[in-house]
Parts: sequence; C-alpha cells; structure tokens
Amino acid sequence: MNVFQLSYKNLFRRKVRTLFTIIGITLSTWVLVTLLGFNKGYENSLNDNIEGMGFQIVLTAKGCPYEAATLMLKGGTGLRYMPEEMVADVASRKEVAQATAQLMHVEFDPNKGENGGSVVYLGIDPTTFAEMKPYLEFTQGKWFEQQTGNVVVLGYEAAELEQREVGDLMLLSGSEAEYEVVGVLKRTGTQDDGMIFLPLQTAQKAFNKQNELTMLGIRLNKDVNQTAFEEELYKLPDVQVVSMAQVKNTIMGLVSSAKVIVLSIAFIAFIIAMFGVLNTVLMSVFERYQEIGILKSMGAMPKDIFKMILIETTILCSAGGLLGIGFSYLFSGISEVAIRYFLPFAPNGKLILIDSQIALFAFVSITLIGIVGGMYPAWRASKVRPLDSIRSE
Amino acid sequence: MKSIISVKNLTKIYERGSEKIHAVDGVNLEINQGDIVSVIGESGSGKTTLVNLIGCLDNPTSGELYLDGQQIFAQGVELSESKLTRIRSEFFGYVFQKFFLIPTLTVKENILLPSIFQSKVKTSEKELDEIMTLLGILKRKNHLPSELSGGEMQRVAIARALVGKPKILIADEPTGNLDSKRSQEIKDLLIKLNKEFGITIIMVTHSPELAKIGNRMIEIKDGKIS
Amino acid sequence: MKKILLTLFFLIGVQSNVFAAVGCDLNDPDRDVKRLFPTSTGYKTDYKSLDRMGGEETLKEVEAKLGDKFSGIYETIDVPYTVYTIFKGKEIIGYIHGINQKGKYGGLQVFLAFDPKGNVLDFYYQKLTSREAVQMRSKEFATQFKDLSFVDFKTYNPTTQANIPAQISKVENVDFYSTLRAVKKNLILMNIFVYDNQGE
Repeated sequence: MNVFQLSYKNLFRRKVRTLFTIIGITLSTWVLVTLLGFNKGYENSLNDNIEGMGFQIVLTAKGCPYEAATLMLKGGTGLRYMPEEMVADVASRKEVAQATAQLMHVEFDPNKGENGGSVVYLGIDPTTFAEMKPYLEFTQGKWFEQQTGNVVVLGYEAAELEQREVGDLMLLSGSEAEYEVVGVLKRTGTQDDGMIFLPLQTAQKAFNKQNELTMLGIRLNKDVNQTAFEEELYKLPDVQVVSMAQVKNTIMGLVSSAKVIVLSIAFIAFIIAMFGVLNTVLMSVFERYQEIGILKSMGAMPKDIFKMILIETTILCSAGGLLGIGFSYLFSGISEVAIRYFLPFAPNGKLILIDSQIALFAFVSITLIGIVGGMYPAWRASKVRPLDSIRSE
Repeated sequence: MKSIISVKNLTKIYERGSEKIHAVDGVNLEINQGDIVSVIGESGSGKTTLVNLIGCLDNPTSGELYLDGQQIFAQGVELSESKLTRIRSEFFGYVFQKFFLIPTLTVKENILLPSIFQSKVKTSEKELDEIMTLLGILKRKNHLPSELSGGEMQRVAIARALVGKPKILIADEPTGNLDSKRSQEIKDLLIKLNKEFGITIIMVTHSPELAKIGNRMIEIKDGKIS
Repeated sequence: MKKILLTLFFLIGVQSNVFAAVGCDLNDPDRDVKRLFPTSTGYKTDYKSLDRMGGEETLKEVEAKLGDKFSGIYETIDVPYTVYTIFKGKEIIGYIHGINQKGKYGGLQVFLAFDPKGNVLDFYYQKLTSREAVQMRSKEFATQFKDLSFVDFKTYNPTTQANIPAQISKVENVDFYSTLRAVKKNLILMNIFVYDNQGE
C-alpha cells in the first residue's frame, strides 16, 4: 500500500460523483482538443486549398469575380472579359513561371430544374490547366489534349445529372454541336463537381467569345517580388488582381476573430472544469474531515495529506483528460460535419487536425488546471488537526 | 517502575468569547510504563482534553510534558503540527469511540495504513497475522469494513493503532459504540495487550466496568484531578 | 472584403456534403404533388434502395424482369429511389415515383404518378435533353401512358425493343426507347416497393 493506492481507492467511495466529475473534465477536454484541432486543421486545409489551386495571382476583368460568383449561385449573365492579347502579354512576362488562361461561360439551360438553371462552362488550356490543378482526378477518361474539338470533361455531379460516361455524346445549351465526353472527374467537393470543361478555343468559338478570356491564373518564378509584380499588373486597364496570399490573410483574419471566441469558450470550459474539480474535491475533503484527522493521528504529515488529495485530483483529471482526447479523436468526424454546417466557408480537407502535440498540450493543461483546482481542498485537508476530528464527534 | 509520562502543571484554557474556560487546570501526573490508567469524570470535566494533551493531539496553554524522560511541551513553546505528528507516531497509538475505518480498504489495508505515513513502521506479513490473530480478526483479513460487526471494526481500529508498535495506547471511549458483549471483548483485549506487550494504556471512559481494569483510576472534575 | 470572399468561393468552391449516389427527386415536391394530385392534402417521402431491399438478389430479379442489365457508373445497386405517397386526409390516393435514365445526349428523369392500385395516372419528363423533343414532351405522348400498369409492360423487351405495348405509338426520337425502358423500370420498382409484386 502507498499513498497513490489510497488515493485511487478513495475515488471509488462516491462512484457517481467521481463519474460526473470525470465526465465534466472529459467534456471540457473534448471541447478544448476539438477547438485546438480545428484551429490547426482549418489553417492547414486553407493553406492546402490555396496551394492546391496552383495560383499565386489571379487576374480577372474588373468586377468580374464578384459577378461570376453571383452567377454561380444565382444564375444570370454579365460576365466581363479581358482581351486575349493582354492576357498573352502578361503570361509571357519574365516573372511568370506558369500561367493558365480560362474562359468562363454561363448559359441558361431550360432543361435544368423545373424552370431551367444556369450551367457553367469553363474553357481551359489543357496543357497548363491540368498542370496547375494536379489534385483533380478522374473517375473515367482523362483531360482532352487538343486545343480545339468538340470534347468535354465533366465534373462528377454534372456527369451524374446527365448520366454521362466517357464516350457518350452530349448537347451543350448555347451550342448547336454535339460534344463527346472524354473524361469524368472524381468528386472533389468543390464547384468543379458541377463544371463542364472544354478546350479554350472550342469554348471561345462555341459561345462566340473570340479573343476573350475571363481569368488568368499565374504562378510566379521563385525570387520574384510579388507585390511589385501585382503593382505592375494594376497598371493594366480594367483588370482586377487577386493575390492568393491576400485572400488567405483575409480569410485568416476573419477566422481569427472567430478563433478568439472559440478559444474563449475553451477557456471558460476550462475554468468550469477547474471549479468542478475544486468543488468535488473540497466536498470529499469535508466529508472525510474526521478520517483525515485520524490519518494524521497515525503519523500522516500535512504534506502526506496534501499529496493524497492532490493525487486524487490528478487521477480524476488525467482520466477525464485521456477520455476527452479519445472522444475528440473518435468524434472528430462528427465535429467536422457540425463545423462545416455552421461555418459559412470551410476549405476542403481535414478541418480538425488533432496531433500528438495538441493531445499532449490538452492533457497537460487539463491536468494542471485540475491540480490548481485541487490545491485549495488539499491545503484545507492538510490543515486538519487530529483533535478536530475527535472533537467534531 | 519507570515513569513514562510526566505531566507538570499542565493547563489548557479555551476562550469562548470573553469567557475563559480552564478545561485542564494545572494537572500534575506521573504514569509508569505498563500502567492502565482509567480517566473518568463527568461530561465536560476536561478528561478528554487532558488525554488529548498527554497524547500530543493538542498544545497546552502552559505546563510541561515529558515522555520517556524527553521534554515534549515546555513552558511557552508551541509545537508545530508536523512536530506533533512526529512525536505522536513515535509514542502513541490511538483508538477512538468511532472507528474511522476507510470503507474502500480491506481490513488488512486499513490496519497497514500507518505504514504509508511512517517509514519506521515496517510490518511483515507474519507480524500482521499475529496481531490479527491476537485480535481475532484474521479471518476478516480481506473483508471490507462494511462486512464487519461493530466489535470487529473496533478491533481492526485497535490493530491499526498497534502496527506502529506504540509505547502508549490512547483510548477515548473505546467501547462507547458497542453493546455490552462486545465491550467485554474489547476490555479483555486491552488487558491482554497490556500483559503481553507491556503497553501503557490511557483510556477515557464512562463505563465503570471498563474503568475497573485500570490499575490506576483518575477522576477529573473541573479540569483538576480530584 | 466581400469581393475577396466571393472570389474565394468561386475559386475554391463551396463545400458540398452530399456524397451518396444521386436519386431522382421531384424538383419542387409541394407544387408537383399538388399539380399531379389536385385533391391531395399531404404527402410522405420514402427512400428505397435495392441495396437495402435484398441487395444483389433483388437487383438480379429486377434485371430479369426488365430484360436488361443495370449498367454504367450511375445505375447501381445503391441508388436511392424516392417514393412519394400522396394522401387525402388519411387515405392514400396515389404515388409518385421517378427514375433516372441514360439518354442519348443526357439524363432523362421520367416520373410516373400512380393510383393506389398501380395504374399510371400521369407521365412526364422532369428532365429531357434531346434534339427535337417537342413530340416527346407533347400532351399526346404523355397521355398514352395513362391507365397502363406493370402488366402492360411485362413483355416489352428493352434490348430488342420488341413488344411495345399497343397503346404506345412510336415517336422518331433517339430517346424514345430509353423512355420506354425508364417507364418499365419505374413500374417494376414500384411493383416491388409498393404493390407487393402484383400481377406476377
């Protein structure tokens, strides 16, 4: 027998109370780990997403992205275009490592939905686009290789809606021609799923947008001063320059205020857990007032009693902490779905990233918090005099 | 006979508001090794306070206490809780009216509790069995306190007081919670312990039956030996 | 700020969480039900799938009755089928059920409305991408399916295109036979889902 065993067994006296205290600690650890994991996962996924786009800078016609996004969401027209020569000029500048030009076109399809709906086409240059979006994978087929020709690659949902497979024919609203499906993408969870891709020149011809482009995705050479280059681009007439770094910072800025709230919640959960521990342990100390006095009459020093109570607290907290960490691992999928439901914007990929660092941090901090909560009761207990226990009979 | 406890002019004053209560009032007392001392008196007479002072459970207001020739309480010196603890574990074993067994520990574990806190207490399995046999609780070794009768619980409490091999056993109303049959058992046991181990026993009791086993009887009235 | 956010939406995309095989639902159930069953007071939606109704065995049974294999990456065992049960008060007055069918140029969504006994009350395309589809979308074409039931299509063979029910007159359209296959498949599934294999 040692103090540890004594403490451990003490916890079994009031099983229900011990259980509830552990549940309380478990819950707050769960919240903490999940929130920390989210903190990390969100940033990582956002980074990955932005990196995955392969673009550092997106050049569009002024006012265009806003309208394009609206188009995607609500349907309608009003896209703006940049002249092809200008885009070609930008793409050929020495600072540019890679560039891919795109033409987006939105067409009203009377067969989509009850009252028709908009279909989004993206004319792309197969050589550069595929290179800059390497994360796009195929269910069937592959990218078209030619710059012209009536061929399409479908996003998964677009293909599913039309029940198209590689080799099937397809009609595109806004065009009279028949198109052959050469590839069906895997589901990405992004808007690419609903997209219909076709060769840039085909798109320009089919939708009568000769020499016009919607967007240029740019990746710069290493050691190029991005800010200076962006300034340079702004000199072009009627263009908008969107830097991905800037987009990321904006998002992170938005998220950081949410993070403050989120971490405050975690903090409050922690404080509640601490008082929960304090309360439980203090109650058990009061209940055992006499018994502690007797232990002292048996030679227990104040430090022994202090140790005993603190060990009890530590066991409670570490058990709750471990459970909480387990839970957050186990249910991170569910938490992720919930977060996705509540967040207006969530990147793809794992939103909650719980690694050993977070787990360790949460475990140590919940245990420390618990120990802080157990300090006062332990101190009270250590001050119990054997005489008091006899007198209080 | 060698004197093991020597009390000189021991006084304990409690303050209740402006009123001063002399719970123990200038007591002088010598107790020899191997004595069984019964301390009797009416409720509130100060008998428990006196025994608590002797048992180093409390600091006196004034007076001196010598244990085995060693000065414990000196005039005007208050001992710290840890100092008192050390002295207690060196000299005393305690048995109270309530048994204070830890409900989650078995009989054996309860008895061995002092060994957790006192490094000098090293009880071998054999010694433990001997103590338990002596107290008639060997069969109950692995039982929980809730499975024991009141008499058995008190015997476990006594066994616990004995594992530290104390020179003096302080017993405060040891039969207070027991019926007459169990009380008789405990009484016999105390006599046996005194005979076999030569333990000095100081007990506070209301029971004239129990008080009779003492070779000395001290009656306390208003904090004084009468 | 808003602009940048929307750009991001546009570029990275809005997360879509529906990853299951796609079913065939009414675009606007409240309105569609009212249109097909004007006296209805309510409806209930049930999701059936061969996967959960005997799995592989049921699939084989359906294929045997259909006289054709399920094929392609979309016509699979786990496709959910939505059956709308139509109520007037507490009384069931009919059902609506639609299925996806691969057409020449795109997907067809063929919906049938049924009376409680399994006879077709109405036929319509919720979706049809085809050239010169005017005839197919005409009222005359749809009316031909009225009062037909599982029994009428029992002998129609989608592979050989033989034994077209007498009531149906042929239309020169690439998706005519796909439509018939869709109707037959719809009837077979409804016979399993709702009508306890009557007329077998």
